Amino acid sequence: MNLNYEKSTIELPESWRAKAPILLSAGLILLCIGFLCAFGGSSTGEDNQQGFKYLCHSYLANFVYVFSFTLGALFFILVQFLTRAGWSTSIRRVAEILMMMIPYLALLFIPIIAMLFAGSSALYEWNGKNIHSSVIASKATFYLSKEFFTLRTVIYFTYWILTANWFFRISRAQDESGDAELSLLRQKWAGPLIMLFSLSASFAAFDWLMSIDADWYSTIFGVYLFAGSMMSFFAVMIVINMLLQNAGKIQKLVTVEHFHDMGKFLFGFVMFWSYIAFSQLVLIWYANIPEETFWYQVRLDNGWMTFSYCIIPIHFIIPFLFLMSRHIRRNRTALTIGAVWLLFAHWYDMTFLVMPNAGPAQLVPLLGHFLGGIGMLSIFASMFIWRADGVPLVAMRDPRLPEAMAYTNPIL
Amino acid sequence: MGKNTQTNRVTMATIANSFNPREIDNTDDIPGRRAPLVTGNQTYGSVTDIVCRVAEDAQPMLWWVLFGFSSMTAVSFLTLITFLIYKGVGIWGNMNPVFWAWPIVNFVFWVGIGHAGTLISAILFLFRQNWRTSINRAAEAMTIFAVICAGIYPGIHVGRAWLAFWLLPYPSLNLWMWPQFRSPLLWDVFAVGTYASVSLVFWYMGMIPDLATYRDRSKSPLRRMVYGILCLGWTGSSRHWLRYEKAYTLLAAFAAPLVLSVHTVVSFDFAVSQVAGWHTTIFPPYFVAGAIFSGFAMVVTLLVPLRAIYKLENLITLRHLDNMNKIILATGSLVGLAYATEFFMAWYSQNQYEGFTFMNRAFGPYWWAYWTMVTCNVISPQLFWFKKLRTSPFWMVVISIFVNIGMWFERFVITVTSLSRDFLPSSWGYFRPTLFDGLMFFGSFGVFMSLFLLFCRFLPTIAMSEVKGIMSAAAHSEHAEGAHGHNH
Amino acid sequence: MSEHKPRKTTEKKVPKAFGWMAEYQDENSLLAAARKVRDSGYTKTDAFTPFPVHGIDEALGIKPTILPFIVLCAGLTGLSTALLMQWWMNGVDYKYIISAKPFGITPASIPVAFELTVLFSAFTTFLGMIALNQLPKFSNPVFTNPRFDRATNDRFFLYVEAADKYYNRDSVKELLGGTHPDSLDEVLEDTTPSALPRPIILGTILLVIAGLIPAMIILNIRAGYSTAPRFHVFFDMDFQPKKKAQQTTTIFADGRSMRPQVKGTVGRGQLEEQDPFYLGYDPSKLTAIDTLETGKFVSLQEPKATDSSAASPASGLTSDGSAQTPAAPSATLNLPWIDKLPIEVNEANIAVGKQKFETYCSACHGYAGFGDGLVHKRADSLAQGYWLAPTSLHVDKVRSQPVGQIFHTITKGQGKMASYASSLNPKERWAIVLYVRALQKSRNADLSEVPADMVKTLDEVK
Repeated sequence: MNLNYEKSTIELPESWRAKAPILLSAGLILLCIGFLCAFGGSSTGEDNQQGFKYLCHSYLANFVYVFSFTLGALFFILVQFLTRAGWSTSIRRVAEILMMMIPYLALLFIPIIAMLFAGSSALYEWNGKNIHSSVIASKATFYLSKEFFTLRTVIYFTYWILTANWFFRISRAQDESGDAELSLLRQKWAGPLIMLFSLSASFAAFDWLMSIDADWYSTIFGVYLFAGSMMSFFAVMIVINMLLQNAGKIQKLVTVEHFHDMGKFLFGFVMFWSYIAFSQLVLIWYANIPEETFWYQVRLDNGWMTFSYCIIPIHFIIPFLFLMSRHIRRNRTALTIGAVWLLFAHWYDMTFLVMPNAGPAQLVPLLGHFLGGIGMLSIFASMFIWRADGVPLVAMRDPRLPEAMAYTNPIL
Repeated sequence: MGKNTQTNRVTMATIANSFNPREIDNTDDIPGRRAPLVTGNQTYGSVTDIVCRVAEDAQPMLWWVLFGFSSMTAVSFLTLITFLIYKGVGIWGNMNPVFWAWPIVNFVFWVGIGHAGTLISAILFLFRQNWRTSINRAAEAMTIFAVICAGIYPGIHVGRAWLAFWLLPYPSLNLWMWPQFRSPLLWDVFAVGTYASVSLVFWYMGMIPDLATYRDRSKSPLRRMVYGILCLGWTGSSRHWLRYEKAYTLLAAFAAPLVLSVHTVVSFDFAVSQVAGWHTTIFPPYFVAGAIFSGFAMVVTLLVPLRAIYKLENLITLRHLDNMNKIILATGSLVGLAYATEFFMAWYSQNQYEGFTFMNRAFGPYWWAYWTMVTCNVISPQLFWFKKLRTSPFWMVVISIFVNIGMWFERFVITVTSLSRDFLPSSWGYFRPTLFDGLMFFGSFGVFMSLFLLFCRFLPTIAMSEVKGIMSAAAHSEHAEGAHGHNH
Repeated sequence: MSEHKPRKTTEKKVPKAFGWMAEYQDENSLLAAARKVRDSGYTKTDAFTPFPVHGIDEALGIKPTILPFIVLCAGLTGLSTALLMQWWMNGVDYKYIISAKPFGITPASIPVAFELTVLFSAFTTFLGMIALNQLPKFSNPVFTNPRFDRATNDRFFLYVEAADKYYNRDSVKELLGGTHPDSLDEVLEDTTPSALPRPIILGTILLVIAGLIPAMIILNIRAGYSTAPRFHVFFDMDFQPKKKAQQTTTIFADGRSMRPQVKGTVGRGQLEEQDPFYLGYDPSKLTAIDTLETGKFVSLQEPKATDSSAASPASGLTSDGSAQTPAAPSATLNLPWIDKLPIEVNEANIAVGKQKFETYCSACHGYAGFGDGLVHKRADSLAQGYWLAPTSLHVDKVRSQPVGQIFHTITKGQGKMASYASSLNPKERWAIVLYVRALQKSRNADLSEVPADMVKTLDEVK
């Protein structure tokens, strides 16, 4: 096993660095255009509130869309250490960089908090004065008050940022020393931290997304968002690794076997998401209790029906059939097509979760929402470049790296 | 984990445990160098010897004692079933409104136990967890026997057990009608039926090469013939191996979602209803986690004595047990998280029925069952944070038995508390099991243990060919690392 | 086949040779040898190993298997079987409504569809593997070498078949000999007797016969007749220790198993038997009418009602009213009807009556009560001749009935009209009576009875 490498092959491509400001400004412009479309498209003369509502929902959906990549990355890192995984060592650093973007993305949550404190109920009905349901009103007194909501959000972010930072710091220290004890240290703490992770991620999903419709409740909702996050995380990983390799980097360290494995995880999480989504649907559909079914009704009324039904082929049938073949998963180009498709599917899912609560389905605002999503991705890309700048793209002195280079996928 | 000894343990991974000279601590890896999964400098031949001796040597006294006891229990269980069919299900404590009582609790308990076997053989296989190889065979056998035990309860609960085949969609000339496919109970028939048959096929297919080993080592012509027929004339041809491995992987790929689906469908039995405490969307994954949790506990309960009796410590090493205990800890915490989520959501929903049900669980007439469940399921596995307990055979058996008790109580709590206090207060009641409930639950353990002991006696308890396969792979990676070291 | 079996037969006839088998200590020597053999151009080769050796397929040039494609087809078959089956069985052939779920393919069809997909795929995987490997195969020339027993233990074998087109006995021996095998043997035909041992044949036949016995018994019972009484497996279910209504018993002195009401107790519903509100007549005045009739009434209330029905269709037939004669007293129940409504006459009650009337009565009696409801029209249009039109509520016979009697008709039914007691509670029935009265009034009122201020509006309507 030859691990002699050119230092330049594990650095961020030079040309990318210049692209970061362009991506950021392009992202911001797209976001603004998207806002205008969302705002203007759905403002119907007398009701300006509707446009603002659409805009807020669109922002939240797109924020959670990109944020879920980083949440998936954090979980991935924790699990890799928990299970002493060796195969992933050469792709782990990219995931670590993704995980380290949580602090940047936390800044993007500030507008939502600001909106709460400005007293707007456009996004979260419980923050308003005229609450239509007594159920929401009774929650709004304490649990869903803006102060407590903010406190919880701060706790989640603090926990995620501290964990990510700690893991990243040790990983970078190992780049210098190559000390195996540093792997053991992370391994030791991964267990307890992953418990807190599942608690925090689950409650973040309840708070940020489920409480848009504070009448509604579903215990599986956290798992649902987690499944989508993991799926989109692997899709992002495949795309980033592919782009880096196309730019001439990490070509020897990330082999077709790693792509194959990420493809398998991608496939696995497509199935897992479908399983969770189906479980939630079938239980609510079958029991047919009005307190729960209305959530799906909202997603079938007001012109959303076609959109909502399309999530089945987009998020399950097409990627499932596409990724089923081993040959697809071992073909970088084909796999990247699948990953990009699933990035779209995840955006579609976030839209499905959030947007029907904003109002009826209309083409222009939805288009604006889509542009906003691309803008958010673009901002995300610029953040990635800044974060990855100056960081080796592979943890070269991790003692498990030779194992990652040696393994092959025998059968599946 | 002792801080000062940690480094020592890592660097000297082969230091024997002080209390048992046979125990070799291989629970820790030095990053970059995998600790051996098979200890004691084994060769391919010695692995064959160790495993085949279990079936070839005369069984130890303990086997006869255990088998005598468990087969007697099994026979009395069959007698009880006969009596129940003669007398009717009224001898159970099932009452209004708790129509689903011990039988469904026992059914879910046993089906759950089965899940660990498929998880080890299929999901860990897909995740390339090589440590599964030493334990998968026994765990799969446990799966099948547990599913047999599980199937008995709904089978006799239908009342006319001899007409249980009416559940299947077959064209009947007498009454031209079909089963009700919109009922989760029918999904159960399909799910458990598929699960039982696919697990059996998976188990049997995994055993074919090992049965061939048994055949080739047989001294008596009868044994040779029986094993020869069972292994279908397996030769170990590479062309056969190629298709065999492909088929094994495909089966694993089917069994992995299948095992999730089975307990998911079992959870649907409860969760599609409108009963408070049953109807909650987290039930599918939470039931699956609970099933794996209880199943691994049962595997630990069985394998620790098994390896001690048959001296399999070098193949089922501390590392295997340690890993299983970690999974118990992880799934136990997941189950705890699900309890917490349910409780939170009962409050968050502001639904008076949900709120009442959960308060009733914890502080109502069945408070004792609830707190037994929480103690055994959430608190006791937390002891596995301590490495000392994770690697002590005695303590892991104690904790895993606690877990099994807790998981039985979990199903009891879900079923009985929700039914005994449902929407109509005038029909509230307090369920009390009868003697027959207790005896028949105990009796199912007799069936389970008898089958498991027979399995140890006659079939390969460890997948020899798979263990040899990972020994070969480990030898190759050592070789590769050596080369790598030279290059540096 | 085994080392224990005598090989005397080899002396009698020269066994056929199938090729050369070389034995190795470990997988690396096997792989090296396999590559050498492959490079020499042999294709009819095989290796026998205790576990799957990685790289051997490449070393021997074995092609990948088509198993996955077979399995994919099986999975799709399973999926479509499950969906078609559920759609046809519950949506077409045997439909019935369960908790308002739709027929055909719904989310409820998914679990079974998934299970059958897995079931079909898994069994095809297993059976396909067996079939492609041409197993079971119990007699195999490779077993003739006793050393081969270690192929499933710890040794690795390489086999070059004589069927190979380049096969030459000596050159293959030389080639394999050059790879430093532990042993090198020629694979010979299995010349041990191939006939099954006699006890096995005998045992199998006996088992088959024994297995047929229960089937024959069942067939005989299914097809034949028997005069013997049925065998009661569940005696206590067939003969339950309980008394039915008209049976005798020795427990009570009077020998009846049905017990009279205990003195001083009031059964459920008995109080209602005393209240005109529930009856439409005043039971306390029964004796004042006709003792004989009352006596009959007590025991024959139902038959009486049936008797009276003989007259009511007749009156229905002539519902045009022209030939209407006052109802014959003999055909009507003579009961102390109450003629004052026990409910208040107000708009709310009329509204209830209207709503209930239109729900339950209008189908036959028509919205205005002329006996021209949809059911009547439909039945009349079928013109089968024996349809008796429902009574018009505006004929004198009905108009002259006390309210109690109308209530009684609704409660007990009359002629073809069924009882509505189970659908309507007494208060609703009274409300209907009130509404019927209102209808009757509306069709038979003088202008003088209309309030003065309403007369104007009537003109406007015109």
